[in-house]
This record gives sequence, C-alpha cells and structure tokens, in this order.
Amino acid sequence: MTVAGAPGARTWTADDGLHLDVRGLQAPQPLVLILQMVHEVGPHGVLIVHHDRDPLLLYPELVQIGWWAERIPGEPGEVRLRLAAAP
Amino acid sequence: MKPPQRRLAGAFLAGAGSRLLPASLPWRFFGAAAVFHVLAWLALLAGAADWPAWQGGLGWPLAALHLVTLGTLLCSAIGASLQLLPVATRQPVRSQRLMAALGWIYVPGVAVLTLGMGRAEPHWVAAGAVAVLGALAVYGTLLGLNLKGAHGMPGVVLHGWGAMAALLLLAFSAVALVALWLGRPLLDAAAARGLHLLAAAFGVMGLLAFGLSYVLLPMFALSPVPDERRQLASGAAAIAAIALAMVAAFGVAPTALRLAAIAAGTLALALHLQLMRRTLASGMRRDFGRALVLMRIGWGSLALALGLALALVLGAPAAIFGRLFGIAVVGGWLLSFLFGVLQRILPFLAAMHAARGQKRPPTPSALTLDRALAWHLRCHVAALLALAAATAAGAAALATAAALAGLAGALSFGVFFVVLMQRLRQAREGGKPGAALN
Repeated sequence: MTVAGAPGARTWTADDGLHLDVRGLQAPQPLVLILQMVHEVGPHGVLIVHHDRDPLLLYPELVQIGWWAERIPGEPGEVRLRLAAAP
Repeated sequence: MKPPQRRLAGAFLAGAGSRLLPASLPWRFFGAAAVFHVLAWLALLAGAADWPAWQGGLGWPLAALHLVTLGTLLCSAIGASLQLLPVATRQPVRSQRLMAALGWIYVPGVAVLTLGMGRAEPHWVAAGAVAVLGALAVYGTLLGLNLKGAHGMPGVVLHGWGAMAALLLLAFSAVALVALWLGRPLLDAAAARGLHLLAAAFGVMGLLAFGLSYVLLPMFALSPVPDERRQLASGAAAIAAIALAMVAAFGVAPTALRLAAIAAGTLALALHLQLMRRTLASGMRRDFGRALVLMRIGWGSLALALGLALALVLGAPAAIFGRLFGIAVVGGWLLSFLFGVLQRILPFLAAMHAARGQKRPPTPSALTLDRALAWHLRCHVAALLALAAATAAGAAALATAAALAGLAGALSFGVFFVVLMQRLRQAREGGKPGAALN
C-alpha cells in the first residue's frame, strides 16, 4: 500500500509487525514518515523499516520518545530496522 | 546461520561511519564559532568609542564584524554543511584529513586576520587573508564535490552552487580590499566593499541559510519536503537579486538595478517564507521553542533590511541607514537564524555521537543546558536593539552597552556549548549526562 502524501513509500503488514519501505525517498521524508508511523502503531506495536541508508537523524528522535531500534538482516544494500518502544 | 542482530542505539551508528564524521571534526568548527562569538563582542567593546564615526575602515569595529561573519557564521556553516550535507544528499564524507587541515588553517587565519584589522596592521590582515582564503578554497572543493554528486534536492543544490559562485566573488573582493589597505588598489574602494558585502552576507551565508532551511526546517518540524519548484523559484530570484546588486556596485545604472535587486530579493523572501510557513503548519512538531523565535527574528530582520535598502536607494542618509542595514543583515538575520539552528542541531549531533557504544544513549534535551540558551536569547535581542540605537543616535555609550549585552549572551551560549561537550563526554564514558548539572 502506498502512503498518502509520499509517493514511493509503501506499507504492509506481516507477522512480525507493520512494514514501511522508505527506500529512494529524499531526506527528511523517511524520518518524517517513520515517526508518523511510530505514532500510528502506538506503544505496543512494532515497525519494520526498510531503508537504503542508516537513518542517523532518526535515532535521537526515537530516544526522545522512548523508542529504540535494532538492525535486523535485510537485502543486500538495505538497512532494515526493527523499531519498538523501549522496555 | 543467521547473522547476529545489532541491538540498541549504540549499535545504530556502527554501520554509518561513512556519513557520521568523527566528533572532533564538526565540533572544532562549532567550538571555534562559540569562541569567536565572544571575541566579536569583546572587539566591539574595544572599539565602542569609534563606533559612531566608523566608516568601514580598519579598527576594532571591523574586527568585530569579521569575528561574527568569518568567525561565527562561516565557521558554523562549514561545520554544519560538512556534517549535514553528506547525510542529506546520501553521500560518503570525503577526505577527513582535508577537513581536519581546513580547521587548522581556517581558525588561526581568522584570528590573525581579525587581530590585524583591530590593530590596523595591513600586513597581518594580508597574512590572515591568505590562510582564510586557502582554507575556503578547500571548503569550496569539498562542498562542490558534494553538490556534484547530490541525489535529488534540486532546490538545495541550486542554493549550494549559488553560494559556491559567491565564494569565488568573496575571495576576489577580499583580495581587492586587502590590496587597497596595502596601497595597491585593484578595484575602486566602494565597488570592492559593495561586492564583498553582497558576496559574503547575501551570496555565501544567505544562500546557504535559505538552501539548508529546506533540509533543516522539515527535519525540525517533522514535515514534508517543501515544494521543489518554489524552492527553485525562490533561489533563482535570490541569485538574480544578488547579481543585479553586484552589477550596481560597479556603478552601472545603480538606482534602477538596485531597485530591481530589492524587488527580486523581496520576491525570493516572500516565496521562502511561504514555504517555511507551510512547512511549520504541516509538521508534526509545530513549535520548537526558542530556536523558532530566533529564526523568526532572523526572517523579520531580513524583511527589515530590504526596507532599509529601499530607503537607502531613495536617498536616506547612508552613514546611518547603511550601518543599520548591516546590523539588520548580519546581526538580525544571519546571526539570529544561525543561533536558532545551532540550538536545535548541536544537541542532536551530540546525541548521535553519544550513542556510539551506549546501551541507553542520552536524549538531546538531556544534553542541553536550557537556562543558558534562555539568557543567550535575551542578551542577543538586547544587544542588537542597543547597537541599532547606538547607530541611530551616534552614541558610544549605547555601543558599549550593546557590546556588554552581546558579550553576556555570547558567554551564555559558550556555557551551553561547554556543558554540552561535558555531557557528551560523560555519556560516551557511560555516565549519566545532565544528572549533576540540570
């Protein structure tokens, strides 16, 4: 499913959580979309992000709202992150 | 076997070494900018008695101006653009050794140049200028390589190339001014000074401020990228305004070209502010406090500067209005906007650096000494108002008061910076930043 206002971004749901693919988007659009999705999934949800670069500016924003990320295996050239509320 | 998962915020950055500079590189520029900011107000204090009659020649007021422009504004812009542009344009950082060398040449160069201006020693000014221009050539090369390889962001890239072209004209006009002081004129003094002001304030710093806003403001406000066609239109109008005013500085149809430049500049500002307003209105974070207040002061000061420029073209006294225009541009617009940006990005950059190897990285707000920033804002506004009053009234006592208020603000910002560095170090050593100082 495409994301309103962000052509090129896709979301889908799988067993491991809500997936968001922001590859190819121009900065700071990935940052904005990821944080929007974090707010949408709520404190008990999990967001899997498919990115083409390590989103450096995202991490301080996540820490600020009590979330964190872990790098998980992805496709070659992909940075895949699992985002969830910090325990 | 599945590869091990890397967890926790500290691990985030492990694969990002190619785009996150070692902390010492950007921070040396930001630290130098904070020190030069203090020295700028001290230089104005030293030259307060000369302020009412100052006509732009060598002396402490000129040193104060260059401690702000080269020392504070450009030093911060170098640090910010070297770190943020590779992140924004999806490119690796180029030649960290060159960046380190840039800092080692630029900072002492500015110190020698401004000391030479203050003490009215043209040969010191020339020596400092050689170092500064050499360093700016390195910076221009790094910036140009980044812009050449940029993916997307046409508005930001246009502003970047405009700033690059202005950097060349800045260097040329600086050489002409130094040659004048050495008694070997290359250009008419008024033309050289006009070209220098336009290239430095509007060309290099102004275009960088406009262009980087299209990355920074959406990042601060968490909003979509502003309309790219309007970014390009604003950038084109700004570049046209600067070019027209530069031609006018050489005495070519000065009144008509200056009026056209003001019209183009007003269009550029109107488009830019419309984009900024939409960015803020559509963002997830619509108010980012004192930083936004400073940015708004900056935008308002630019509008004021355009009004003062119009008054000058229509015949207002140049001795007073010319310097009020300079205060509105350099102090009101560029310095206010810069400190608005620095208040936001320095804690974020520190948090990114602190995250390395930490299980629980600090939040940007935990690294920030907020009271110091509150004092900085009050003193910054008071200093600018007092300096404008000193100029209008021709009163040296008011210039002294402005310098003291500015110095208090610069020291407050310096305290914020030192505490930020202390908390960053504590965080990297595994301590609890902010526990002792909040």
